[in-house]
Amino acid sequence: MYIVIIGCGRMGSLLANRLSKQGESIVVVDKNESAFENLSAEFSGFHILGDGAEVDVLKQAKIEKADVVLATTKEDNLNLMIAQIAKEIFGVHKVLVRLFDTKREEIFSTFHIESISPTRIAVDEFLKKINLKGS
Amino acid sequence: MEIFRSEGTLRSNNVIKRKYYTIFSFLGLVCIFTGFLLLTPLIALFFNFTGNIYAFLKPSILSFIIGTVLLLLFRRKNNPVNLTLQDGAVVVILSWVYVCLISSIPFLLENHLNFTNALFESVSGWTTTGLTVIDVSKSSKVILLWRSILQFCGGAGFAVLMLSTIIGPYGAGLYQAEGRSEQLLPHIKSSAKMVMFIYSFFTVLGILAYRFAGMSFFNSINHSFCALSTGGFTTVSNSIGHWKSLPIEIVTIVLMILGSTNFAISYLLLKMKFKKIFHNVEWRVTLLLTIITISLITFLTIRPFSFDSSLRESIFQVVTALTTTGYSTVSLSGWPNPGIFIIVLLMLVGGGICSTAGGIKQYRIYLLMKSIFWDIRDHFLPRSSVVKDYIWRGEDKFYIGNQHMRQVYNFVFLYVFTFFIGVLIFLITGYSFKDSFFEFASALGTVGLSVGVTGPEAPKHILWTEIFGMFLGRLEFLVVLFGIRKLFLDFKTFVSLKNKF
Repeated sequence: MYIVIIGCGRMGSLLANRLSKQGESIVVVDKNESAFENLSAEFSGFHILGDGAEVDVLKQAKIEKADVVLATTKEDNLNLMIAQIAKEIFGVHKVLVRLFDTKREEIFSTFHIESISPTRIAVDEFLKKINLKGS
Repeated sequence: MEIFRSEGTLRSNNVIKRKYYTIFSFLGLVCIFTGFLLLTPLIALFFNFTGNIYAFLKPSILSFIIGTVLLLLFRRKNNPVNLTLQDGAVVVILSWVYVCLISSIPFLLENHLNFTNALFESVSGWTTTGLTVIDVSKSSKVILLWRSILQFCGGAGFAVLMLSTIIGPYGAGLYQAEGRSEQLLPHIKSSAKMVMFIYSFFTVLGILAYRFAGMSFFNSINHSFCALSTGGFTTVSNSIGHWKSLPIEIVTIVLMILGSTNFAISYLLLKMKFKKIFHNVEWRVTLLLTIITISLITFLTIRPFSFDSSLRESIFQVVTALTTTGYSTVSLSGWPNPGIFIIVLLMLVGGGICSTAGGIKQYRIYLLMKSIFWDIRDHFLPRSSVVKDYIWRGEDKFYIGNQHMRQVYNFVFLYVFTFFIGVLIFLITGYSFKDSFFEFASALGTVGLSVGVTGPEAPKHILWTEIFGMFLGRLEFLVVLFGIRKLFLDFKTFVSLKNKF
């Protein structure tokens, strides 16, 4: 599978490392060069220095050929924009987005963009633990 | 370092231990791989060629035994450690030393060479040099095929061979450590497979082309293997000059150029992206250098009424030197001094990065020249100006940072320094200035052209100097230094921790 990951922070880099170890073809995009230090020796894909919202950078990452695009920058709005570009302009089928602010989930779903919210997942986990303790 | 040592816990000891388990299990795989490799020349026996089977069977079995023992001792299914560039360097050095030693055994048993000469031949094969100390007219065909197989594999390199066949995704460090800085596809394994595919594809094309040009099947295989790997081993005593045939020379020139072309460019070539190839700096350097030097040498070697033959000779000799192959169509001993000097310079420059060629590499030469230009330009810019210099590398722009430039300068310095030390050893032995320069440039650049110094009767220390030259030239210095330092450091930490607990 060919996967483009935009945003190489803690989450993006972990995803990149794991996926690369599994044998997938990975390209990571980040605008900070220092972000690529998060990549471990397991990672054997490409990294591209540039703004993930720029079409040229995305073209360089050959996003039109990607099977999956993951937007994991730290800004929800940027993620949304990248996801829209990937979906509308480049016609990528599977686009997944990280979303911090749960209030925005509805906007994302109206754009038909799948989002995963670490906040919601964490809250769910917390609740599970509390309920377990309580019962 | 001090921090690390004072906090030296059992854990870091374990990390080193686990890492070396992985390294040794890698080596086990290398041994088994070499075991298979040693059997391949025996295929020639099916075609009614004579040869001593045991010369290959014995080292092959030895290699299988060593490999199995290493695997049984060190293979751990759970959590193999990922190798970094430095660990990769350790693996690369150990495996190269191992294969060079084991591959020399057939030469010992079959050609009855002494140890130095056998090792020389084996190193010359693996490093795709092509200097030889055996008499090809007296060797069995199996040995000739074995030499070509060595060059074929040496050209691809272990990382590519192993990554594209056996080992999993733990080898990214290995790939880089073997001097392959460019990756074609965004996964190391698929990238290695692609390199192997391009390489084999060109080889098959080469065999067919040689066949059409009128070579025998056996010679076609051998010469295609050795031309594409820019090795230069041959099966006849006068190299390509033996045939005196223009088509064969043309096929050889094309194969040599393909071999010395960066695999990333070959990939673009196969994908028909010619515009991007045009951007690439290495192509431009090749073109510029060949045109200038061919015209110079033609001018220098011209004899009355023989423009076409001297053009033909100079084209072939320039390409063979620049691609670091080492085939020749004429004897170089009769050439004028300026011509020899130009050939020496070409051998030092060498081919493209991430190719099978050796030398300083055209990419680095280009960067050095470009940086002079950048430096002069920067002196005339306003002080607050911000410039980002880039060149085209592979498919994309590559921005040149100071760190990168420093590596390039260090490499070139080490290269030239080693070159002069080697030349000094030659001079002390009593060879002429010209011969020393030429022969050691040929060894260090893994070229294989010779003015007659290298041979079975050459003094032992000269052969050893060349062995070191070829080894360093192929593995690009820094890896050897990294690897040795890393081995030393790990050993030291390991021992000091062991004493503590």
